[in-house]
Amino acid sequence: MDAKTLQKQALEAIEQAKSLAELETAYKAFLGKSGQLTGILRGLAALPDEERKTQGKEANELRDLLEQHFAAKKREIQEQGVLASDSAKIDVTAPGKRIAKGHLHPLTLIQRKTQEIFGSMGFEVVEGPEIETEWYNFDALNIPSGHPARDLWDTFWLKDSDKLLRTHTSPVQARYMEKHEPPFRIIAPGRIFRYEATDASHEINFYQLEGLMVGKEVSVANFKAVIEEFYRQFFERKVEIRLRPSYFPFTEPSFEIDMRWGKENWLEMMGAGMVHPNVFKAVGYIPDDWQGFAFGMGLDRLAMMKYRIPDIRLLYSGDLNFLKQF
Amino acid sequence: MLFSYSWLQQYTKDKLPTPERCAELLNMHAFEVETVEKKGKDTVLDIDVLPNRAHDCLSHVGMARELATISGKKLALPRAKDLQKQKGSLPQLSVQVQSSQLVPRYTALVIESVQIQPSPKWLKERLQALGVNSINNVVDLTNYIMLEIGQPLHAFDYDQIQKHKMLVRASGETEKVQTLDDQTLTLPKGTLVIEDGQGLIDLAGIKGGQRSSISAQTKNIVLQAANFEAATIYKTKKRLKYSTQAADIYAHGIDPNLTTEALGRALYLLAEWKIGGKLVQVIDLYPKKVVPATIRLHHAHLESVLGIAVPAKKVQSLLSQLGCQIREMPKQRFMVWEVKPPTRRMDLQISEDLIEEIGRLYGFAKIPSSPPLVALSSPQKNQEIAWRERVRDAFSSQGFCETYTYSLIGVNDLAAFRYSEQEKARLVALQNPTSADFAYMRDSLLENLVKNVMLNEKKFSQIRLFEIGKVFSKDSRQLKETLMLGAVLAGESFYSAKGVIDFLFENLGISGVWYDDYKPTPEKSRPVLWQNGKSAEIKVGSEEIGFVGEISSGIRLNLKISKPVVAIHIHMEKLVQLATEETEYLPVSKFPAIVRDIAVLVPPATKVAELMNTITATGQSLIRDIDLFDMYEGEKEAGGKKSLAFHLVYQSDNKTLENKEVDTLHNNIIKQIEKNPLWQVRN
Repeated sequence: MDAKTLQKQALEAIEQAKSLAELETAYKAFLGKSGQLTGILRGLAALPDEERKTQGKEANELRDLLEQHFAAKKREIQEQGVLASDSAKIDVTAPGKRIAKGHLHPLTLIQRKTQEIFGSMGFEVVEGPEIETEWYNFDALNIPSGHPARDLWDTFWLKDSDKLLRTHTSPVQARYMEKHEPPFRIIAPGRIFRYEATDASHEINFYQLEGLMVGKEVSVANFKAVIEEFYRQFFERKVEIRLRPSYFPFTEPSFEIDMRWGKENWLEMMGAGMVHPNVFKAVGYIPDDWQGFAFGMGLDRLAMMKYRIPDIRLLYSGDLNFLKQF
Repeated sequence: MLFSYSWLQQYTKDKLPTPERCAELLNMHAFEVETVEKKGKDTVLDIDVLPNRAHDCLSHVGMARELATISGKKLALPRAKDLQKQKGSLPQLSVQVQSSQLVPRYTALVIESVQIQPSPKWLKERLQALGVNSINNVVDLTNYIMLEIGQPLHAFDYDQIQKHKMLVRASGETEKVQTLDDQTLTLPKGTLVIEDGQGLIDLAGIKGGQRSSISAQTKNIVLQAANFEAATIYKTKKRLKYSTQAADIYAHGIDPNLTTEALGRALYLLAEWKIGGKLVQVIDLYPKKVVPATIRLHHAHLESVLGIAVPAKKVQSLLSQLGCQIREMPKQRFMVWEVKPPTRRMDLQISEDLIEEIGRLYGFAKIPSSPPLVALSSPQKNQEIAWRERVRDAFSSQGFCETYTYSLIGVNDLAAFRYSEQEKARLVALQNPTSADFAYMRDSLLENLVKNVMLNEKKFSQIRLFEIGKVFSKDSRQLKETLMLGAVLAGESFYSAKGVIDFLFENLGISGVWYDDYKPTPEKSRPVLWQNGKSAEIKVGSEEIGFVGEISSGIRLNLKISKPVVAIHIHMEKLVQLATEETEYLPVSKFPAIVRDIAVLVPPATKVAELMNTITATGQSLIRDIDLFDMYEGEKEAGGKKSLAFHLVYQSDNKTLENKEVDTLHNNIIKQIEKNPLWQVRN
């Protein structure tokens, strides 16, 4: 068989191969150990010099050509094979394989946000214990024993102990001031406790954020600016607030902060005031030297407003249907 | 307290604004008005008088004064009579006060021949609208004056006071008194009582006694207007869990100068209401007269605190509207006043109190917002919180949901989670729990987390929850508060939990974590919580920082949880401490690594760590990493053995390892492993 015919046959066989197995058979037939072209190549040695040269060149070129074609065909079949296999047929409408997503608690999200905003205004974050002494929770805050003002805080007392579960984050004020000299700006977030019947807006444990700024000239006007800026950043819009007279033993003057909500309504947001000189005295400051403001806001309340949560108890329910929404 | 609008109106010369407008003014300048409610021709306002103003505002005259000040109206005070006594026929009443500290002032009138009758309709209606029942004209008169002036009065039947003597004293042990409302109260020691020649006739400041009460037959009366120490009344009220409007007023403290004012008014009304009677004796025990406080107010300080300029004239006019006497201090560089508030304003003691008055009357609304002038400094970062947030992110990135559970656990939880008596004794208990479900402080996060699993198990096939929170315990009266990290995985294996911990530690840059077979160390965790043989201590170096394990099936049965639950409990402070230790850079080897696998059949009790130790001991520093990639324990393995398969990564820091070198080392390792007759390396 001449080289031309062999080439034609081989290329046809390559062309017709539908699978790797068929291609392999064709390969064997031409280039395998006993393949036709292999036979020719082997037979070259027996030929006279002149013929060997020309035929040898021809045969070697043909081998290279066929090798190329086989390789190209093999790749073609492989590519098609991958495309045609079952696993390659996809249903784009079928659901993807999910990787479980984790969720942070809304109160964590609120705490992060508040800390970030107050941080941007130079407030440091400090913390205090949840089990408190009567001194820090009450006396140091100008709420002496036997004073009806104590009734403002329904308190859990511990058995066989004179300690209590802190009813507010305000004790952190006293603890911090004892160890630091003004001027300073701090916030103190944390869990607090009240002896209370639970309902949609009351819990026995919840979260408060205390704020305290003390300096030489810190004023009510400064408080207004700081708190307006906080709400503006928190609610991502300009908000209107108002101060109403109130009473807290540890601040004088004291006020309640309302925020305008809708056209008609004002929402009570937090209690605040200028630190009472007796509190400065209790922590060892000279009251005439310093003045400052303090405030305490409910974080659960902020979370409920921000995420439109209708019932405070959901926050402590552990219900995954709730937790997975944040 | 409830206030009648038309009654308030009686005490201002000009007409008051509408009830709604009054409510608005009060809201912005004084007190929160809870409700404004029309009642017949009148309107009743429920005003939340702040505790520091209970001294002077729990009365109609007090509230009218407040309203007049805010709205700029003139006050018209109620008429009164002088306490002029006449000659009478009754024997003198002798009154003795044991302690003038407990009773700063005791004032009383003896009045002869009154006519006890039902009250007229208008009076009955007025009292009823404000929640007070009408009894008879004399008792109603005492209540009327209390609501009007804020001084509680009490009327005794003179003829029922035995031996014409009264002693006001603190009670001793187990004394009893029968009150007007027919209750017999056993009094705590130190309660203020009044005693006559026969026994107790009054629970002073709180409720009158039955025996000396006014009846239809009463002819002569003793009208008492006393001043009792606030703290004593407050304490009694709390201890007895018994209160009256009079007790509420006394508990906050009132001005001792009010007694004669109230009695003068009573005398006037006795005549006006035609109850009759003749004043025959005036008793007034008032050893230490209360005089106005003197407060220095610096104009500059006032403006500095409020952050707004208030003209001096305005300050003076506001203070005088409150009834203060004001004197400008001479020879001062800046304006300083000497202010004497009226004694009824017991809340005005220091200059800040006056600043509050100016602030609220001038209007907090007028105060502008102006940013504070402070040094431009960024706050110091709280590292503990920063690490805590990183732990949260690590858990949430592993598919965990964060939960916040109660800090409290209940009696039922102690049973379900099998607390022993000893363990219960270490719990911090509440003295006054709201219910048995919240009676103890949690000593671990796991109980409430496992309860969360129970709640969600029916609705979710896979549950991963975590919480960071405080736990509490008691050690020979020493209270401990510890921040913990807890997590639960339901429907997953122990090894998933271990993987989560490894991920966390890698995230925080903590190395050298290992797991120790859990040996019960009662002070740290309750062994009964864990399934036998399926828990471990989490250790870093020699420090134990937490536990991981499967919750015991007994507890799961108690809670009816069907899936296995694996729990993690880690000491946060120790974790943060380890995380803050600086991470140091280890150079990456530039020479290639060679990986060889090895599979070993071992008895089920053999620990992975034992094999890893043998491998490391033989391979020394050339073993860069050992990775367990398969663990199989099954019947089909000979003799129920366990198959462990590892990738061993060989790498040197200073040369390219030859295949031959690695082969020798690998064979050495195999030999070392097979020295243990129970271990068999598979091919």
